[in-house]
Amino acid sequence: MRSVTAWFKRYALQLIVLLIVVVAMYALYPNFRPEAAIERLIPLGVIAAGLAVTMIAGEFDLSIASMAALAGAITVALSGLGLVVSLLIAIVVCTLLGIVQGWAIAKLGINSLVFTVGTLVLLRGLTWLVCGGLSISVEDIAASDIFSGKFLFLSPLSTIAILILIALGVFLARTRWGRELYALGSSRHEAIAAGVRYKRGMVIAFGISAGCGAVGGALTSAVSGSAAPTALEPMLVLGIAAALVGGISIAGGRGTMVNVFLGFAIISVLASGLAAMGSKAFVAQLFTGIFLLLIVLAEYVIQRVSERHRRTRTKRVLEEQQELAAV
Amino acid sequence: MTTTTTPTPQGSPTVFQERAGLRRTVDTIRTSALPILIVLVFIIASITVPQFFTVETIRAILLATSVTGIIAAGMTAVTLSGNLFSLGVTASVVLSGVVYLWTGSMTGNIFFAAFAAIVTAVLVGLVQGYIVGLGLNPVVVTLGAGAIIYGATAIVTGGEVVAASSNSLGVFATFSVFGVPLPVIVLVVFTAVAWYLTEHTTIGRNLHLLGSNKNTARNSGISPMGVTIWAFLAFSVGIGVAAVLQVSQTLQVQADNFGELTMNVVAAVLVGGTAVTGGDGSPVKSVIGALFIATITQIMVLVSIPQGVRYFVLGVVVVGLVVILHLLRKASSR
Repeated sequence: MRSVTAWFKRYALQLIVLLIVVVAMYALYPNFRPEAAIERLIPLGVIAAGLAVTMIAGEFDLSIASMAALAGAITVALSGLGLVVSLLIAIVVCTLLGIVQGWAIAKLGINSLVFTVGTLVLLRGLTWLVCGGLSISVEDIAASDIFSGKFLFLSPLSTIAILILIALGVFLARTRWGRELYALGSSRHEAIAAGVRYKRGMVIAFGISAGCGAVGGALTSAVSGSAAPTALEPMLVLGIAAALVGGISIAGGRGTMVNVFLGFAIISVLASGLAAMGSKAFVAQLFTGIFLLLIVLAEYVIQRVSERHRRTRTKRVLEEQQELAAV
Repeated sequence: MTTTTTPTPQGSPTVFQERAGLRRTVDTIRTSALPILIVLVFIIASITVPQFFTVETIRAILLATSVTGIIAAGMTAVTLSGNLFSLGVTASVVLSGVVYLWTGSMTGNIFFAAFAAIVTAVLVGLVQGYIVGLGLNPVVVTLGAGAIIYGATAIVTGGEVVAASSNSLGVFATFSVFGVPLPVIVLVVFTAVAWYLTEHTTIGRNLHLLGSNKNTARNSGISPMGVTIWAFLAFSVGIGVAAVLQVSQTLQVQADNFGELTMNVVAAVLVGGTAVTGGDGSPVKSVIGALFIATITQIMVLVSIPQGVRYFVLGVVVVGLVVILHLLRKASSR
């Protein structure tokens, strides 16, 4: 029982924000369907999860949206081999690229922001090449039918996404390699001094990140049966917003997959609610941006207040000690 | 970030001298590599590409450099101060462009319109600078602010194309002095001012200090907030000026335009050799970076390489140069 209250306390801020957003959407638009929001797990949910893993490890993967677009392009380009086969090839290829990226970052000791800004352009270029500069589509339109149908109230895609989130959650919290990512993110030098392998951590983090991006992009393209060189570009800002709004810390070392899911839920309820009301995608961008800034500001204020609190407390303890010494 | 500690050099002073000499050599390579590379590219392209060494091509390269170069020179101030880079360039440029075209079409006075565009960019930039100055992650703040600015601009314009009422609004792009287009002159002047400010004034020195060591800078009485705001001010003025020059060329703007601008500017700063960790770099380097990117893009256009390949090559060049510069910097600080 205590653990349940602890759980609620831990995610209180996100749960409250989610509740407010859902209520607001119902109030503004009574026909609001939450299922539509859940359906955005592919690509947004998994991309947010991938970004969260690198953030937990104290790094940043700006190339994830490009990676997703590349996976989508490969899926469609190779769809002659059968959609499932091409899908798997795309995911494997992109995960390998991510592993190489993580290895390179660790080997060079380079700032991951700088490196991934470069690969953001590079992978987007690869996507252009794979697409041949045009939007391409699958020949066999009926091939994507395997993804229709329902599993309880979830579509097969959302089921896959939720399974991925659960698997990542277990990996991060229960396995040694997963916990090492937290160690690398919160206090890197101490972690390395204590025997955590930095290079392995980077390879795992960027491999997972690329894999998540690839799953998101490949499945999106498989369902829609099309890919475009400029696809999924807004997913970077939406994914970062989802991860941060959910409570993943940019400083690293903090946050779980529950945070990612809650953050995703907030952003996607907002986006799908606005879309249902007939607003254009840029309205959702506006609100996502506002949410993102508000949440980082809120985190900053909370941190400041708790710091001041701690400082006054230490000061008081010191004063008491001095008084005792004087006596 | 590895923990391998380099063994401290011990023994005769000659070891130190050798090391210092090596460091100097590496530093020379680091600062002169890109200009030499540009010259080499120019020479090779002049020989192999038939239409390269013509007035039109050089003019096109310089015009393309002017927009990215001015923003890159401004962004260098932000990077120098240790605030990484901004991912919201495109949105701000579009917003300022819309303001320029609207005020210009209403009043017919291009100077007033340009002033309004720059003021808009500065206001938007100062808000971001203030938030970043509080100590929040600059990449996240500018990404979020970019989304807000993009959304707001798209809502206000209805996602439609905003066009100039008359061609007179394009005078800033078409005007030239002795055959040198005005945007190029603006680029040179802007870069010179930015260079003077960062290298020879207190503000500039504070930028360097804050970027190289935040705690020491704060302890020596430098206000991180004040310096960050100065950096964003310089950056925003660059955005405003560049936006005016850009829309003067196109004479129309839409919320979705200039999508590749943010990446080009960031690439110019990184390729130019300004350290993303702050404290080391110069606006001039960033402009040279922008010139390099514009040159290779223009060469690829001339030999009619498709856009996809161009983007790919650009990515390879950026990643390659960034890695090489990183390794050189590591070698020189060893």
